[in-house]
Amino acid sequence: MNITAAARLDRASVAALVAAVLMPVALGLIFFYVPTANGDYGQRIFYFHVPIATTTYALFGWGALNAARYLWTGDLTLDLRSYVPMHLGVIFGTLTLITGSIWARWEWGTWWYWGSTELNTFLIIFLFYCAYFMLRFSVEPGERRARYSAVYALLGVGLIPISVLAVHLGQDAIHPITFTDRGANMEGSMLFTFLVALAAMLSLAVAMYLVEIRGKRLDDQVARLRRLVQETR
Amino acid sequence: MNRRAFTALVRKDLLLELRGSEVVLGMLTFVVAAFVLFRFGLGGGRPAGGTRAATGMLWVAIVFTAMLGLSRTFAHEREHGIWDGLLAAPVDRALLWLARACSTCLFLMAVQVVALPAFWLFFLQSGPAPDYVVLVAAVALADIGIAALGTLVAGLASAGRAREVLLPVLFLPFAIPLVLGAVSATTGTIPPQTSGLHTVERLGYLALYDTVFVLFGWGLFEFVVED
Amino acid sequence: MPSPDAVACNGLVRRFGERAALDGVDLHLAGGEFVLVTGPNGAGKTTLLRVLATVIRPTAGGVAVAGHELPRAATKARPLIGYVGHASLTYPGLTARENLELYAALYGVPGERIDSALERVGLDDRGRDSVAEFSRGMAQRLAVARAVLHEPSLLLLDEPTAGLDSDGREVLREVLAEPGRTVIVSTHEPPWFEGLATAEVRLAAGRVAA
Repeated sequence: MNITAAARLDRASVAALVAAVLMPVALGLIFFYVPTANGDYGQRIFYFHVPIATTTYALFGWGALNAARYLWTGDLTLDLRSYVPMHLGVIFGTLTLITGSIWARWEWGTWWYWGSTELNTFLIIFLFYCAYFMLRFSVEPGERRARYSAVYALLGVGLIPISVLAVHLGQDAIHPITFTDRGANMEGSMLFTFLVALAAMLSLAVAMYLVEIRGKRLDDQVARLRRLVQETR
Repeated sequence: MNRRAFTALVRKDLLLELRGSEVVLGMLTFVVAAFVLFRFGLGGGRPAGGTRAATGMLWVAIVFTAMLGLSRTFAHEREHGIWDGLLAAPVDRALLWLARACSTCLFLMAVQVVALPAFWLFFLQSGPAPDYVVLVAAVALADIGIAALGTLVAGLASAGRAREVLLPVLFLPFAIPLVLGAVSATTGTIPPQTSGLHTVERLGYLALYDTVFVLFGWGLFEFVVED
Repeated sequence: MPSPDAVACNGLVRRFGERAALDGVDLHLAGGEFVLVTGPNGAGKTTLLRVLATVIRPTAGGVAVAGHELPRAATKARPLIGYVGHASLTYPGLTARENLELYAALYGVPGERIDSALERVGLDDRGRDSVAEFSRGMAQRLAVARAVLHEPSLLLLDEPTAGLDSDGREVLREVLAEPGRTVIVSTHEPPWFEGLATAEVRLAAGRVAA
């Protein structure tokens, strides 16, 4: 018991440490190292927006995977491991929308560009995860809530590709699709900065995930001990 | 698949609806009222966006109408405590879902038989005629998607507090891609063709949507009803 | 090899959220027994019957009906079980016959059996009437007809005598007296079942009281 608790503490601190080192490095690279593309300083928001968005998707993916594992095994700790990444995913998702909006301002001159498939797809998925929380908060805690959350989380896995396609379809009715392949032809220094920023965001998410899992576990333990005290009294 | 059980379950829903006729009539009244509302909201004119804006309104109205009907999904079972009887019976839970989704789909189509011509009268009658075969296919595919997903989501919503609020909240994120697909497919049936997409692609998207959520409904409904 | 118990519960637990409705129930019944389940309100009688009826899943512990482990083998157990719940489990908007037709289809029972099922509970002349017009006693009789339609080997009844008129009680007694079935009845009036019951199990706070 003590040994595993210590090991878990270590993993969380290691992840936090990695994030603490990578984050300033990434910031330094973004603001001072990477060359300005197309003579546009604001384009640097790319190095925030895309890593945050990728982290958000990774968190949702991890949450959905654990949801499927929960339905398969019925192990309630997996419900927690599904809920926490969803919860963090919504925080990162909000940041994605904000940075995306800033990017749209630099790129297209408006705070929201309805012609961007990425932004619009993300908006749909963000709404979906907000609905996940509505569901979670309106069902009594217990196995039923765990099952319902897991089912809804899995529906999101279907929704993501469907939304990407749908947004393309919708765009087509407004104007022909124009692909702007900004990821493909990045210079070496840009790619390096991007990867460091991505690693920083991911390690931050992992650290937050591990810390929150530990906190929730402690909450559960306290609740269980309190019940035990009441029963023996 | 147990065809006899499936037929009996659908027949039960249809009989209850024929005797009580609360859902279909309610949906029909609602959707026509929504058209009137749009018409007056737009100041009595045609929507500025032309055919596309009109079909957009149509599908938004249909989605909200469907939500109204879906909120009555399993209402008989819930109100009279009949779920235990269905769950104790030796039928696959997926079959309970499939039967209910089919009834919902039939109700939706029954509403549309009146609602679509009414919409035409309200907004599009001065324009060119649509390609009816494709139009019917597009509407049917969209209905299947709404019914398949809606039945599953209605099951999820039924356990929560404030079920009536939860159902639209859970359903609407999925309605966005559906409306996009349905609008694209419906607009494509009305000349002049403005987009390069083929009919097959538009209908194919809706068919894909249906396939995905039919599979989800079939596989996951068990976790929604079994406690 | 001895035939498996008609019902076997080993440390059966069922929780609703934090509350344990069943908290370690051990119960073994041989085929043909007629057991009364008694106990105060909230003792877990209904929960026990619902778990055995495969309507809700056990949270922990083992439970098997005729050797079929629940919930894993519930599909195999369901055709063997007849369940009369608190509610009549029938649609008020349908006629008595239509209700039985639905359940006959669900249980894979030939439709010809519906007439005899209605006759069995004295509703043969009310088959075309809507259940919404039925009195509580008639609805309860229909519920019994529904539960025995597929000739189950295990019959579960939750407070079957509650609100039942004298005609209904007579019908119920006739059906319960039919031999060859294992019967579990939860009830607040055990004396009424005298002559039928072979054993009594008393539940208190989710456990079998000694």
